[in-house]
Amino acid sequence: MIRYDCLKLLAPRITDELVVTSLSGQKIEWANLSQHHGNLLVGTMGTALGVGMGVAIGLPNRRVIVIESDGSVLLSLFNLPTLANLNPQNLIVLVFDNQVYSGTRISEPTATAGKTDLAMMARGAGIEQATTVRDLDGFQKELDDAVAKNQLRFIVCKVEESVTHREILRTDLDPIENKYQFVRYLERTEGRAIFRGRG
Amino acid sequence: MEGALATRLVAGLKQAGIDLVTYLPETRLSQILPLLRNDPSFTLLPVASESEAVTIGAGAALTGKQVAIYMECTGLYVSCYTLVSIARRYGVPLLLVVAYLGSMNDQRNNAVYAVSGTYVEPLLDALQIKTQILVNGDRLEDDIQDAVRHMHALKLPVALVFTGDFTR
Repeated sequence: MIRYDCLKLLAPRITDELVVTSLSGQKIEWANLSQHHGNLLVGTMGTALGVGMGVAIGLPNRRVIVIESDGSVLLSLFNLPTLANLNPQNLIVLVFDNQVYSGTRISEPTATAGKTDLAMMARGAGIEQATTVRDLDGFQKELDDAVAKNQLRFIVCKVEESVTHREILRTDLDPIENKYQFVRYLERTEGRAIFRGRG
Repeated sequence: MEGALATRLVAGLKQAGIDLVTYLPETRLSQILPLLRNDPSFTLLPVASESEAVTIGAGAALTGKQVAIYMECTGLYVSCYTLVSIARRYGVPLLLVVAYLGSMNDQRNNAVYAVSGTYVEPLLDALQIKTQILVNGDRLEDDIQDAVRHMHALKLPVALVFTGDFTR
């Protein structure tokens, strides 16, 4: 299974969902497939899941989807027990586990290339609906089920290492520009101001 | 910290509009926790690391929550990465409520904290986080109001760092 193929299945399903991405391939490929203003392209390691939790708690009326990676989750494992106990029902976490640190130039194994099972760790932390999918059909079914239900889901997607993110056009969206795009989108769709203070 | 000071601190946060607090417990200011927990105007989120206190707080702030992050000063060391990579890089208004253990004014200072305290002020400087150090409650409510106004004006984290009478 290739991550980009999974994201191609997800992109047309996005209506008013908010999507928070991790770094590198997750960010580049998602930004290539979706220019939705509800995208928050966090793009740093070990931070997207936390930010996504905050967004989900801040807007319990909105579905939030976090697109994470194995290396990024491994860097912020403290997120797992916190996520389990906060238990936001409107949050779907997709962890694309390619078993490597795969930036723009490197390919080095992560712990999941060895003995580590992220879904099992998530269940151990108390996330009840933590599963692993290994093919595109399984991904589609798990995604359909997650979207149909209002409950916290943690879906580890076992994918092959791929270099799509090195070959496609990389977004030039600046973090500050992305923040305002996201915040103004929320202001339009939620009908209220987000930031305070005088301009 | 005396109960009266804790009550004023929480009332000051409320008056300034703070409505969500992420935190990892510590001892010096801990009297504020039951007050925050028992006031329905606050959403109180316990975390396992100050690093995620910042990321969760930042996510909530981008949805319109008025966020304070309560931590021991050593939590600044833990959260440096997310303060830089999320709060500062994106420009997110966050109020850091920091218990300043190991400062010269820490009334319970000891060998465990004194060295850790040494780096707090230089670190906040290095992070370019505007900081107000409070040693007593003379201007407590005003300092909280000023800090919250400033964080919204800057769209960045600002820090209130509590020592002296707050550490008794």
